[in-house]
Amino acid sequence: MAFVPGQPVTAVVQRIEIHKLRQGDNLILGFSIGGGIDQDPTQNPFSEDKTDKGIYVTRVTEGGPAEVAGLQIGDKIMQVNGWDMTMVTHDQARKRLTKRNEEVVRLLVTRQSLQKAVQQSMLS
Amino acid sequence: MMQEPQEMVEETVTVEEDPGTPTSHVSIVTSEDGTTRRTETKVTKMVKTVTTRTVRQVPLGPDGLPAMDSSSPMGSYTDSIDRRYLKNGERFITPQASSTLSRPYNSYNDSYPESHEGQYRPYIGHDGYGDLSDSYGSLSRGVGYRPRYAYVPGGTYRPDEGSFTLPSRRDTYGPVAQPQVPVGSSVDLNRSQPERFQPEPYGLEDDNRSLGVDDEGYELDPDYSTVNRRTSAGVPERGRPHKGRGYDDPIEPEMVEERLPYLHGGYAAPLAQPERGSMASIDRLGKRSPSIDSIRKDPRWRDPDLPEVIAMLSHPIDPVKSNAAAYLQHLCYENDKIKKDVRHLKGIPILVGLLDHPKPEVHRKACGALRNISYGKDNENKVAIKNCDGIPALIRLLRKTNDMEVRELITGTLWNLSSYEPLKMVIINHGLQTLTNEVIIPHSGWESEPNEDSKPRDAEWSTVFKNTSGCLRNVSSDGAEARRRLRECDGLVDALLHALQSAVGKKDTDNKSVENCVCIMRNLSYHVHKEVPGADKYQELDAGQTTGTGSSQKKKKDDAGCFGGKKAKGKKNGDLDRNFDTLDLPKRSEAAKGFELLYQPDVVRLYLSILTESQNFNTLEAAAGALQNLSAGNWTWSTYIRATVRKERGLPVLVELLQSDSDKVVRAVSIALRNLSMDRRNKDLIGSYAMGELVRNLPSKQQRSAKNLEEDTVVAVLNTIHEIITDSSENARSLIQTQGIQKLVAISKSSQSPRETKAASHILQMIWSYKELRNALQKDGWNKSHFQSVSAAPKGSKGTAGRSGYDDSTLPLVDKSQDNEKSGSRDMIPMDELGPDGYSTIDHRDKERKYKTSDNTGDASEKEPLKNDTNRKNINRSNRASVNLVDARDIKPQPVDSWV
Repeated sequence: MAFVPGQPVTAVVQRIEIHKLRQGDNLILGFSIGGGIDQDPTQNPFSEDKTDKGIYVTRVTEGGPAEVAGLQIGDKIMQVNGWDMTMVTHDQARKRLTKRNEEVVRLLVTRQSLQKAVQQSMLS
Repeated sequence: MMQEPQEMVEETVTVEEDPGTPTSHVSIVTSEDGTTRRTETKVTKMVKTVTTRTVRQVPLGPDGLPAMDSSSPMGSYTDSIDRRYLKNGERFITPQASSTLSRPYNSYNDSYPESHEGQYRPYIGHDGYGDLSDSYGSLSRGVGYRPRYAYVPGGTYRPDEGSFTLPSRRDTYGPVAQPQVPVGSSVDLNRSQPERFQPEPYGLEDDNRSLGVDDEGYELDPDYSTVNRRTSAGVPERGRPHKGRGYDDPIEPEMVEERLPYLHGGYAAPLAQPERGSMASIDRLGKRSPSIDSIRKDPRWRDPDLPEVIAMLSHPIDPVKSNAAAYLQHLCYENDKIKKDVRHLKGIPILVGLLDHPKPEVHRKACGALRNISYGKDNENKVAIKNCDGIPALIRLLRKTNDMEVRELITGTLWNLSSYEPLKMVIINHGLQTLTNEVIIPHSGWESEPNEDSKPRDAEWSTVFKNTSGCLRNVSSDGAEARRRLRECDGLVDALLHALQSAVGKKDTDNKSVENCVCIMRNLSYHVHKEVPGADKYQELDAGQTTGTGSSQKKKKDDAGCFGGKKAKGKKNGDLDRNFDTLDLPKRSEAAKGFELLYQPDVVRLYLSILTESQNFNTLEAAAGALQNLSAGNWTWSTYIRATVRKERGLPVLVELLQSDSDKVVRAVSIALRNLSMDRRNKDLIGSYAMGELVRNLPSKQQRSAKNLEEDTVVAVLNTIHEIITDSSENARSLIQTQGIQKLVAISKSSQSPRETKAASHILQMIWSYKELRNALQKDGWNKSHFQSVSAAPKGSKGTAGRSGYDDSTLPLVDKSQDNEKSGSRDMIPMDELGPDGYSTIDHRDKERKYKTSDNTGDASEKEPLKNDTNRKNINRSNRASVNLVDARDIKPQPVDSWV
């Protein structure tokens, strides 16, 4: 899932639609993110390529909106509501997810198993 | 019947007679008498044979599936070819044979002859081929490569009938018709060497293995047997292009019959080189011999070995995956060695990955295999499952699937995993709320917003519920944090109570699910006076001396019949005992919910009903244990509970249970009575009515009918007696009257167990301390020496009350009764005397104890958690933490993550 600068990025993605849950004054999604272009990519336990500075899902609250929608720990988020997440800072990513006027976020996420599944079916 | 395919991309190597076209011999015989007879004999070649394989283009239908149906010749050809498997393994000609199976897979076309790809035996999707199995009835299950149909599911996930990367076995496939020795198929015949059979390590010598049935008697969820799954490791067949049962069936059976005779005539599989391990080795017929049946039926097949099966789990074709998983499940059944090998071969992460597979057959079989693997004494497998995130994957699947069988498998696996102590917290973290929401609440019949008009629903005692309740039962024994999480889990306590209530209503209290639920309730009631939020509000300093503070609260009980609904907790003051006349119950504006239900007096009625009706020893023990837990401690609610037990006529119920034959029941009941006697009125009543039973439970050499109880039980009974004669000389008198002294003296003098001796001596000393009774004793022939024993450093009759650390006088006994390994000296150490070093030994023993109780009865390890658990656990953690803090190697900034 690494990218080559200048080349278009291709990945097999899954669409996930998360309906935020209202908790008091906040709308929460129920997961936590790590990564970003301002972060250290070598510490990412989920990425295949340790130079990948993308945004990854590091924790998922049990039973929360994200888990219910199918988000899994270790997923890399490619887009949120159409906005790219592969080249953003950590804070920008967080902000894109937590807009107060959005009840639903539609993500495109990718993970190793998706990639493998497609490769397998391509081979066969 | 068979016809040459119309299109061929590859040339066939061998010449094959087209069996489809009958040859006729016309012979003219002229007989002597001059007549001419013309005979025409039609010779139809036997069908069959597969010496050649042709690859052909398979035209794809509109849905991407090869349009087999449309091209009939191909279809039929394929058809028979596929069947061929049945007859003999002909079709799996090795690539060298250069013929390729006429499988309707496009991608085979080009690369086939060159590579070994594509020749392999896909596992036949067994699902849905009931008939097929029947026709194979004679073939033993689980024997390797039984030809079956693999249907290629037309679903979305279907890989593009692509090349199969598993090379086929280089089987020999001798010609079907004996006389037909394909001349041309020289290449193949080169391989016609008799197969070298070697004992196969994973062979299914004992076919009965697969016939085992799920045994309800297991504590742990038994291995999922493969009885109902008749997916043995069928020869993997490349999926047929059509889902074809309907298509093939009519022909199938007859083909089988035809083919079968040839099975025996065939050659041994040609073996080039046996290869092991990777997918590439599928083609070799291996050094292993097929299992007995397959030898009998077809000497050319052999079962795949374990690395091959695991490799097949990653095969692109889904039926292969699912069959491999099913075969794995079958292999692992009751075979610890294989389970271990699967783990070493890294099969477990693959299986966990398959749980996310969209196809039901795949994730169902994978889950079945995981369930078998997770069962057993070897906990490494459980750890391995957890390490590859198996627990979240299982929970995810549980949320997604509606299939009852899959849910049973998932929950069964979780039950197995939960029996291993380190995993309990992990399960709670990932799955508690989901299990509650997905299983417990729906199956219990509880509704969070009960509709007042409708009748409360009944619980459904499904297997899923049983498994889930078993899993929760295990995790609830994991200490204070686990208890807290379960108590605070939304809806759990409510639903469990509702389920129990409905069980009592239906008089169905002996089943396993009820047992599990009551055990959870007992565990959650443990230390409830210390652990629930706001507990300190209710703490009373002195048990039994509660004086009502403040005004009495009159509460109305509304809707008394419906449990779990809106019930205000309260009690009318009138009939309260003088000690507890005005219990200062908190004013309730709404019904009790969640964990508060644990200690509402209504549960008393529930537990008493269970105690009255159930015959299941575990359930009885748990219900008594729950009452024991609730009545322990100096807490307003426990005071209330103790009184309520009495008012609900619970004391006779408990006394009657003292007659039980089961050790654990007697033990739990006697400790419950002991706690209950903290209430003065109870003590009087228990003293008068229960003394006889208690004494009867003590061992005696003379009495032949005396029960043979374990040491822990005897100690418990002795301590109960001690408690009830404390502060009550009437009770001491009744003890004398029930001939108890004899037994006590005997125990104190000659018992093998130091604990029993000590306990008995305490009682005797206490009795002697009642001076007014001494006359009676001396009249019976007893003197002081009987009562003053040398061993006891008298803890004093007030010992139980004096210990500062204990507010629960049952606690030391709980320890003793829970841990048989402890020596007698340990229980006398009050918590506050233990120094830091004391903890290390405790840790050790704690660990032992924990694992002991965990492993004892498999999943049923929820004996009441030990009293010191909480504190020790904390110390454990802090000890460990202090080590970690020293780690200075990691100087990199911690990665930031943000919650969204």
